[in-house]
Amino acid sequence: MARNRFTRKLNQLRDDVTDMGAITLQSVEDALAALETSNTALAERVIANDNRIDTLDRKIESQCIKLLALEQPMAKDLRVIATSFKMITDLERIGDWTVDISEEVVTMGKPIHIPVSASKFNELVADVKAMVADSIEAYAQGDVQQARSFEARDDRIDYLYKDIVNNMVNALAQGKCSTETVSDVTSLLYIIRYLERIADHAVNIGNRVCYMEEGERAFLK
Amino acid sequence: MSGEIEISIKNLNLWFGNFQALKNINIEIQKNAVTALIGPSGCGKSTFIKTLDRMNDLVDNVKFTGEVIYKGRNILDSDTDVVELRKEIGMVFQKPNPFPKSIFDNVAYGPRVHGIRDKKTLHEIAERSLKGAAIWDEVKDRLNESALRLSGGQQQRLCIARLLAVEPDVLLMDEPASALDPIATSKIEDLLHELKKDYTIVIVTHNMQQAARVSSHTAFFWLGEIVEYASTIDLFERPRNKRTEDYVTGKFG
Repeated sequence: MARNRFTRKLNQLRDDVTDMGAITLQSVEDALAALETSNTALAERVIANDNRIDTLDRKIESQCIKLLALEQPMAKDLRVIATSFKMITDLERIGDWTVDISEEVVTMGKPIHIPVSASKFNELVADVKAMVADSIEAYAQGDVQQARSFEARDDRIDYLYKDIVNNMVNALAQGKCSTETVSDVTSLLYIIRYLERIADHAVNIGNRVCYMEEGERAFLK
Repeated sequence: MSGEIEISIKNLNLWFGNFQALKNINIEIQKNAVTALIGPSGCGKSTFIKTLDRMNDLVDNVKFTGEVIYKGRNILDSDTDVVELRKEIGMVFQKPNPFPKSIFDNVAYGPRVHGIRDKKTLHEIAERSLKGAAIWDEVKDRLNESALRLSGGQQQRLCIARLLAVEPDVLLMDEPASALDPIATSKIEDLLHELKKDYTIVIVTHNMQQAARVSSHTAFFWLGEIVEYASTIDLFERPRNKRTEDYVTGKFG
């Protein structure tokens, strides 16, 4: 096979993006564990670790620009670089949302009261975590079938998001929340919004993986 | 593919003696567009382009079957007037080949061969052709100097002007910029973008980036066959054939 040096660099790029994905996924899991257990120390660590994601974002961006400028990639090689170049922005944004969740955890500083069905909230949390994990795996493996499943999974997340928001707003409107829990509800409204946005970025990654593998561009969230 | 067709090639096969250099070529060349032909050395792309103005006739033992339909006639027919054909379908070669004459005489050569003698008319043709080839400003004050004193890039544009002077429809270019430096190359590439408004251009190039920059359609040749013919963006961004993919990504060739 010709272009061994370039092929090595391209493989390195994919490994680096996958590593960035793993670190971002860890942030998602830590932020949600911090939320579940009101672990402000863990939340502080997520906030502090965000600069690792930002540093990788800049490093990988430079790698992509260099490969585009110096190697004139074509076909699948071009699509791998274009996908990586765009996907790191999705990962970086997911990292930012985990910081926002963690900041809410730190602000609340205590176990939160969820005035709606805990099972739906837990389902939302589990689905979002799984979507992020699966999107990174789909990129690493070039798994189009997996990537194509995200749109439908995101529809379920959107449904859960709207349902939880409606229930919380109703709880507020009907005066079911004490003065103390009103601020929890407000924080939770933010947090589930962040979770819904994280899932949108996972869908974007799925669409980018389809482009990388098959060359067809899909509509992004 | 949409757009008007200038040349339609149907089931074209070509042999040099017992060696089959082109195998069942079917391709439609779009009018007023740049079509690039890419592929490894010896894949048949230069042989193909030379078929379009019957230059292969100059090779011994050449034999061909199929059709090259241009203006409603098969130019491979034995009764084709190849001199008249080459006026309509002209060729620019890899190495600039100006005649050892003045710049003016180079451009006026074709019109003179076709019977134009009037000096004023010849000057008008020369100016129009040199302007069309984007070299007028560089040579307008030295038209009587030897063409051999021009730089390589200028000589190549002069050769293009020499073609334009006989008012062709189609310009065939066999690696027209491969002997030129990057600046001269980019002038030729810019020129192609201008020329395609009035001419149909078919360019053979080893430089895939050049094919990507200048053409709207690209054909990938391999072992005498067209493996894939598509819009240039499709061929370079999402080729359908594994062999095209391997070639454009540099895995072979």
